[in-house]
Amino acid sequence: MLSLTDHVLSAESYTVRLFLALLHLPYNKIAADAYPGGEIVPVLRDGQTVLRDPGLILAHLSRSYDSAGSWLPAADAADVARWLAIAATDLAVLSEARRVAVLGAKGNLAVLNQKGRAALRTLDDHLAMRRLKGKDWMVGDGPTIADLAVFPHVMLSHDSGLGHEDYPAINLWQRRLRRLDGFTGMPGIPDYF
Amino acid sequence: MSVEAAALDQWYTLGALRDFPQGESRRRLLGTDLAISHIGDRFSVGDLPVRTDYGHLWTSLGTPRPLFDIPEVHEADRRRVYCGAVTVRASGLRLIENFLDLAHFPYVHSDVLGVEERPEVARYEVEQRRDVDELWATKCEFFQPRAAASAEGGQISQYMYRVVTPFNVMLYKTPPTAPNRWDMVALFVQPVEPDLSIAHPYMLVIDDSSTEAELVGFQQMIFLQDKIVLENQRPRLLPLQPGRETPTRADLSSVLYRRWLKEKQLRYGVEEPAAFA
Amino acid sequence: MSWIPLALSRDVPPGTTRAVILDGQELVLWRGEAGTIQVWEDRCPHRGMRLSFGFVRGDSLNCLYHGWQYGAGSRCMRIPAHPDLEVPPSIRATALEASESGGFILIDRGETMPPPAIPAETPIASLAIDAESGTLLQLCGAKLLAGADVFETRLDGIALTLGWHAVRSGHLMLHAVARDAGAESRALLALHDLRASAERKAA
Repeated sequence: MLSLTDHVLSAESYTVRLFLALLHLPYNKIAADAYPGGEIVPVLRDGQTVLRDPGLILAHLSRSYDSAGSWLPAADAADVARWLAIAATDLAVLSEARRVAVLGAKGNLAVLNQKGRAALRTLDDHLAMRRLKGKDWMVGDGPTIADLAVFPHVMLSHDSGLGHEDYPAINLWQRRLRRLDGFTGMPGIPDYF
Repeated sequence: MSVEAAALDQWYTLGALRDFPQGESRRRLLGTDLAISHIGDRFSVGDLPVRTDYGHLWTSLGTPRPLFDIPEVHEADRRRVYCGAVTVRASGLRLIENFLDLAHFPYVHSDVLGVEERPEVARYEVEQRRDVDELWATKCEFFQPRAAASAEGGQISQYMYRVVTPFNVMLYKTPPTAPNRWDMVALFVQPVEPDLSIAHPYMLVIDDSSTEAELVGFQQMIFLQDKIVLENQRPRLLPLQPGRETPTRADLSSVLYRRWLKEKQLRYGVEEPAAFA
Repeated sequence: MSWIPLALSRDVPPGTTRAVILDGQELVLWRGEAGTIQVWEDRCPHRGMRLSFGFVRGDSLNCLYHGWQYGAGSRCMRIPAHPDLEVPPSIRATALEASESGGFILIDRGETMPPPAIPAETPIASLAIDAESGTLLQLCGAKLLAGADVFETRLDGIALTLGWHAVRSGHLMLHAVARDAGAESRALLALHDLRASAERKAA
């Protein structure tokens, strides 16, 4: 059975929980003391395979458990990989800002939020352009792990004081994602919408 | 900005003792920067009064009455759980009021502390105990699908609430594992600015099955679910003028709390009457 | 005084809320099943929670905090903590006069006059811009339409109708529709250029 070392407040852990829920996969959840204890999350164990990088975990679960291949379509693999990289860098700034604002981590909140706003604008521009081309999702024709990797950082930005008033395309995209069968929220991402 | 006596003459926590490294560290309270010194087992905060009860460091910027008692801390079979400090951009009084609220369980803590199908808040009792200057809400009941980290199924939970100072509150609820005892969850609020607070949840629970990380995770989940509400209430400061908000019978404890704050002439974290016309 | 565009109609489909800030005032735009646009103060009268975080069910908006349910007329219909309570009609959210025209959602601020008739057009996007409206108008050489903060212009040869609302000093939302279909992507790129020019000028 799959096991996930998890922390309820971690955006990166939530990405994995969300994908497991959308795939309707049972797994064993182990609560880690990530805050205040500092344990590293997420960690996914699948047989002999142990993975820590959220993007790698999403890709592994797609390849192993999504027989239809819809979450990581071969034709769009490069685009998906590009967004996984952005989720781990430019957009991860939002989660770093959140750790500073909420959990007292060290960092300059004003600088992080400025970078965060730039990342949100890039995403909103992308989604607005996609919609003009008749596409609802970040890549390809349906939801992919690119959407899932980006979603938590974006949704939790209000924790560091960044609302979504400036980003109408993000607003519609996140509602679409929350309507997916099996969707689950986390603290800060209500189940109700 | 000058802070009134009603706010100065109270005990406030600055955090769990274990979170202060040896040597100097800094905290902020009521808009004032404080230097904390921790040498061996000794704590000092300049020449302010200091207490180290309940695993937390306490101080006051004024002349407080003795620190409130938490008798449960002496019961040997209780686990003491420190849940980590969380910063919230809201008045500390909003945090306390939300902590006293039952009616939000089905929506903010859906499928954990409440379900949408059973949202009713039954009549409960509130009283101001003038001899000890505390507020109590008793005989509170609510249907909960997953009342605690150790809960297996739904239950009607019994609650009691005890407000000991404007920024410190605790609740007692029936644990799934020991129906004749009360779990205690405290919320100690450190008001940093009128609209910025650090919450220090602390639990004394009867639970020998959950791991420490599970207990902490459960409380953090609940608290962070509240945060999205607390930071999006307008105004951010607590309004005390009648008519500014709309209480119902389910809000009896909030009504009593607001009346008590008014009686104390507390203003820190309160909306200025002139702020709206 | 005139009608102020707050969003594109397309961006508030039935079943959704959208938070908008107008001159520092928080507003919620939402649309229920019946399809009529609603623009309210973004505040539940119960405990001040922003209603834009709430959820739309059928033709009602429900507050996230305690589930208080508001009908399209802004009256509170249900308080879940007291399921049997007949809610007094005095409990209501604060609604603003709203209308839709030419693909824009507009509110009337000031004296009541009929909403402007803007021809139906193709929605492009709403963009946040760090600049004042004066800077934008200057860059566009725009012609203002009567009765609304809306103007006509051409960008990259594409005929556009643009509207804006001020969020706070130095920050606005620009709403754009194209007069003809077929060049939507190019129109959006032209708007990105306009945003970049306006922000350079403002900086």
